[in-house]
Amino acid sequence: MRGERAGKELAYILFGMVFGVLAAAFTAGVLLLGTVLSVTAIGVPLLAAGLLGARRLGGAQRRLAAALLGERIEQPPPRRELPGFYGRMQSRLTDPYGWRAVAFFLLQPPQALIQAATVIVTWCWGAVALTFPIQQALGWNRVEGGWTLAGFALEPFPRTLLVSLAGLCLLWLAPKAVHLVLLPHRLLLRLLLGPRRPAARIRDLEESRALVVDESAAVLRRIERDLHDGAQVRMVSLIMQLTLLRESVPEGSARELAGKAQETASLAVRELRELVRGIHPPVLDQGLEAALTALADTVPLRTTLDAAVPRLRPAVESIAYFCVAELLTNAAKHGGADEARVDASLDGDLLRVEVADDGRGGATVLPGSGLAGLRDRVGAVDGRLLIHSPAGGPTRITVELPADR
Amino acid sequence: MRVVIADDAVILRDGLAQLLELRGHTVVAAVRDAEALERAVAEHVPDIAVIDIRMPPTHTDEGLRAALRLRRDHPGVGILLFSQYVETRYVKDLVAGSAAGVGYLLKERVADLDDFVDALRRVAGGGTALDPEVLPHLLGAPRGALDALTPREREVLALMAEGRTNDAIARRLVVSGRAVEKHIANIFTKLGLPPSGDDHRRVLAVLRYLEGT
Repeated sequence: MRGERAGKELAYILFGMVFGVLAAAFTAGVLLLGTVLSVTAIGVPLLAAGLLGARRLGGAQRRLAAALLGERIEQPPPRRELPGFYGRMQSRLTDPYGWRAVAFFLLQPPQALIQAATVIVTWCWGAVALTFPIQQALGWNRVEGGWTLAGFALEPFPRTLLVSLAGLCLLWLAPKAVHLVLLPHRLLLRLLLGPRRPAARIRDLEESRALVVDESAAVLRRIERDLHDGAQVRMVSLIMQLTLLRESVPEGSARELAGKAQETASLAVRELRELVRGIHPPVLDQGLEAALTALADTVPLRTTLDAAVPRLRPAVESIAYFCVAELLTNAAKHGGADEARVDASLDGDLLRVEVADDGRGGATVLPGSGLAGLRDRVGAVDGRLLIHSPAGGPTRITVELPADR
Repeated sequence: MRVVIADDAVILRDGLAQLLELRGHTVVAAVRDAEALERAVAEHVPDIAVIDIRMPPTHTDEGLRAALRLRRDHPGVGILLFSQYVETRYVKDLVAGSAAGVGYLLKERVADLDDFVDALRRVAGGGTALDPEVLPHLLGAPRGALDALTPREREVLALMAEGRTNDAIARRLVVSGRAVEKHIANIFTKLGLPPSGDDHRRVLAVLRYLEGT
């Protein structure tokens, strides 16, 4: 058992050392080159590739440590990449685990030096000393002028056995020394190649979630743009061409058919418009106040609006907008309200949107209801939904959204 | 009519120009953004400018803001907003002073070329043409004096706001001309409009309708 560990640790030092030093050379080389070339176009991709490489090499080192040292280090969380070239570069350059792997490998050469010295002094010298009498007998190792230590001659036999004894001591010490010298290495492995502490991990998760929320808001906006510039334009163009067709054929079945086709196309255009309004109303591009003003015009309620807030993260604006849309619709449909007040204000980093109506109250969050959907949406950015809706009314629902993250 | 078209989609510019020319109108300029639109209007002084709302560079409300400036600088030029979307912001500003010579149609209305050209002609002649889909948005929630109107009277008023004549309204609602006149008289009374020239009262009623007071 002990022997097995000693053997594996020795093997780890031999393989791991070579691997670590090569990885350190790769990492340092790529980073240096990337930094020097960062004034050119290939510098940043090179740096990014270096970081990605370091992370992958860190993975190999972790597997080596698992196999030979029995260090079961958890994998760091999987990498997420933003789409597009710049997104990819950004994700790689800001990957904390890439930089930690870099730090790990840059610390390898000095450690390798100490590890090599330890192996040489204990295992190698021990083996050489143990077999000294045999080497003498075979005439392999002749010490010029006789070997003495503090005036005490260590030759000839049987005095050479003293050297063997010293070698035996060294070999007895060797596994312990190797184990000892690997302790700081094990610590670095866990510290730099494993997952970070929960607090840091939570911060990571929050950041990546914020990225995902922002990204999805951007994707919705892009879909809206693409529909507007693509499918919708083509549908309108189709309607125009059908109009041309109707104008150019004599009255009859062809003209009627073209008219029917136009009706279908018009319906498609209307449906696309509704679809777009559901995913990203174009007026949101002009800010929350503009969007809420437009919204207040469309609901069957007398709505007073005070929403003088600056531009915010698109995702937050979008969530706030859809909350107000849902709440006003609820007020009219379920609450039987005639009047509503919408107040949006920015309190430090907190966007507070309050929707109050004079309906009959009793609004509760039921699973699968609109309010439950709102609470999920709001929760995606760590916001809160506060409901004050006694039976008989009035209802006051406040949405709190962290606006600056 | 002499027409200037502003739309960032070339197939829609071309298609619209083709349709208008089919009816004997002249498209004096077809441009892709608000800046070019203002230059074209200043150069040609057309009867009407047909303006898409979302145009480069930001694709939000360039067309609307250009329309407001054209209204100020060239009050004689009819303005027809021609959009895929119902946009209420600024449209109220646009019709606030007077809805005369202003129109707002959704793009799919080109399906009926007669109606569409009619609307253009009305706007060019100082009338209005508001899309039935746009009107409720401009009107917003029922409020004030308008609450007193019956649904039928509101329908009539909405058609008036579209710029239709009594005959056209009668045909649309499939009622007699006399019935329409009666509805309109009730509308005037309920909105408290003084008995004076009918055309003047019509515009006032439409404005009140648009303002929703």
